[in-house]
Amino acid sequence: MRVEVDHNLCEGNGRCVEVASRVFELRDDDRSYVLIQNPPQALRAEIQLAAKLCPRQAIRLIED
Amino acid sequence: MAALTLETLDIINPDLYVQRGYPHEEWALLRKEAPVFRYQRPGVEPFWAITKHADIVTVSRQPELFRSSQLLFISQEEPGSPLPDEAILRQLLNMNPPEHGAYRQVVNRRFTPRAVQQLKNQIETITTEVLDDLVGREECDFVTEVSAKLPLAVIAEMFGIPRADWAMMFRLSNAMIGPADPEYGGSETITENLERARLEFFQYFNQLCEDRRKSPRDDLASALANGSVNGEPLPPFELLSYFALLIIAGNETTRNATTGGLHALISHPDQWERLKRDPSLVSKAVEEIVRWTSPVIQFTRIATADTVLHGQQLRQGDVLALFYPSAGRDEEVFEHSAAFDLGRYPNPHIAFGIGEHYCLGANLARLELRAMFRQLAQRMESVELAGPAQRMRSSFVGGIKHMPIRYRIRA
Repeated sequence: MRVEVDHNLCEGNGRCVEVASRVFELRDDDRSYVLIQNPPQALRAEIQLAAKLCPRQAIRLIED
Repeated sequence: MAALTLETLDIINPDLYVQRGYPHEEWALLRKEAPVFRYQRPGVEPFWAITKHADIVTVSRQPELFRSSQLLFISQEEPGSPLPDEAILRQLLNMNPPEHGAYRQVVNRRFTPRAVQQLKNQIETITTEVLDDLVGREECDFVTEVSAKLPLAVIAEMFGIPRADWAMMFRLSNAMIGPADPEYGGSETITENLERARLEFFQYFNQLCEDRRKSPRDDLASALANGSVNGEPLPPFELLSYFALLIIAGNETTRNATTGGLHALISHPDQWERLKRDPSLVSKAVEEIVRWTSPVIQFTRIATADTVLHGQQLRQGDVLALFYPSAGRDEEVFEHSAAFDLGRYPNPHIAFGIGEHYCLGANLARLELRAMFRQLAQRMESVELAGPAQRMRSSFVGGIKHMPIRYRIRA
């Protein structure tokens, strides 16, 4: 499983960081960055929640 | 009261919102039996009522197929009904991609979590001052004395509007959002009330713009006055509309979430005690308050092509109204959706919208609400209603105009 944030869509609302702070981080350019490119299965639920809550649909979860 | 039926239920008449508040029973019936419902009533242009969370998400995430338009919300025809919204203001809510994104960029960076975080101390201080004013008394109107004050002060400070003019911003915001309400709109027809308020707003903002062009500061007014879209300065109508949008939106919704939140806490004493025992619950509590109060009742979209939604055939040009408070009670998304539960998690409400038009001020609103409910939980020893809450006459924004409370507060 891989996680991507589309920086053309992301506008730094930060919902992902609230629900999955181990996976996402807001940086100085007000974009969300992925901290773990290939997260373990244990984080799947919170990543899915982050993707669901993202108001801009900027988060993609790609299955290997 | 007669049993509810799809044929007779009413979700648009603004008088019903005054008398009964949100029509949750009606929405529940629609979610269950007709989630994409062709609403046809005398005095209302036919539209599709969208009441399920998933359908509102589907529509909101396709801004090309379901466009925003000058028709911001569905209202009932009455004497002097308002002009199409675009004739009143041209702003983010009735714009579409790519124009919408270009306009949003002008101020977006001032509303990111990082940017609003810098306002945190200021917000905490204003909240403390607002609550300090209650000390030494036992009764107040919670709306005018508490919930209206914080968002007004914060947005006015962000704009750099001097304190002497805040009362005017409050009055004009009310008139723009509640032109059909006799207390807010005024005594003339709805259109005349709106026009008058807009004119006053525009004259004020025009002066503010001139000032900030001559001597720019680090405030929102300067960002707008000197801002550009695709390399060009904003045209006058769009510029002044932008001011009005941010002042109105920054005022009304947070106020109503605050009032509605306290109302819910008073009606659910167990949850109030829970928050008082554990103020660290406040972030979750605020999400639940936003889900529960869902201050924006509806926005509309127009289908740009024939399409099928949840099994219903829609035609190009059809109008859809998205009922956000209904999405917040969707049984398929929220366990015990009719329960007010401050610990609810996850809480994927869409009261701030979703997609292209996601609330620009959501981060700011969250910060204000967290400050307010944390301090209320810490300082209010007891609180109860001292009279009925008076609701605004509107099927667009769920407003509470006055809410008398009796309380004890720590100095």
